[in-house]
Amino acid sequence: MTRINALQEDVFTDNQSLALKAFLCPQFKLDDEDELVAEEERSCLNCRYRRWTVESFECMKKLG
Amino acid sequence: MRIVVSIDDTDNINSRGTGDLAAMLAEIIENGGLGTADAITRHQLLIHEDIPYTSHNSCMCFSASIKDECLDDFIIQAADFLENESAPGSDPGLCVVDLDSLKYCDELIAFGFNAKKIVLNKEKAYQLAHKIEVHLSEHGGTGDGIIGALAGAGLRISGNDGRMRGRIKDCKPGEVFRVEEIVKRSIVELVVSTDGYVLKNEEMVAMGEVVKTVLLEGRQVLLVTPASSESSAPWQTCTKTYLKKY
Repeated sequence: MTRINALQEDVFTDNQSLALKAFLCPQFKLDDEDELVAEEERSCLNCRYRRWTVESFECMKKLG
Repeated sequence: MRIVVSIDDTDNINSRGTGDLAAMLAEIIENGGLGTADAITRHQLLIHEDIPYTSHNSCMCFSASIKDECLDDFIIQAADFLENESAPGSDPGLCVVDLDSLKYCDELIAFGFNAKKIVLNKEKAYQLAHKIEVHLSEHGGTGDGIIGALAGAGLRISGNDGRMRGRIKDCKPGEVFRVEEIVKRSIVELVVSTDGYVLKNEEMVAMGEVVKTVLLEGRQVLLVTPASSESSAPWQTCTKTYLKKY
């Protein structure tokens, strides 16, 4: 399990960056409709493999 | 009789979500001729490192009207269903509350809101369930899902937590409707601004990309914010990002 970025809050608020990461990510899988929170559908924030944490989220797929 | 059904911790990272299983439980009631089920709500519980959860720590609930003589049968069916359909590695819990005979309702609601703020355990959940005489059962794994299931029931009964599962589909982004049209053609009961103003029937609302309702004061509420100056209506529906807090 890998944290997306050590600067979690910066990552969390950078929706464009998260959309780009998700666009490029071969592991991206859209979560259930009820769990979508980002306006841009393909975003790490809407991915089945993001796990919410106290401060931000973790990616449960290794991104390398 | 009126009941509330709540389930938690039925999924794993690759399985169907708990919302899907809640919908299937509602179908057991409706298709089996046991009664009628209401809309499903999703309730966010505490995210904490001491709490095991798959990815969001949310639970799913619905209320229903069922025939008195069908309650025991439904609980047996729901238990079997969770044992057969929950994902490997999950820790499913089931709570069924008979609203007509519920005692200490305030304590159940308090348990629900506590589950959003502090770490609770199975012992506390079972103690409360025993005291207030509601059905609470575990159906695999550690059974930790009973905590969220009981909490979810309290939150649903509070009428002031969670967002409704699914979206309103009879509208397209950018379409504008009068409030009375929205109420007439959808599950929406009230249209309310984020600062609490209840919109009047003739007021106009522009639909966003995803239109979802939340549970407030026991009603299915469509939340809106003042629209941007370019909008064709003075109000617009809230974004997914905003609704995340519900």
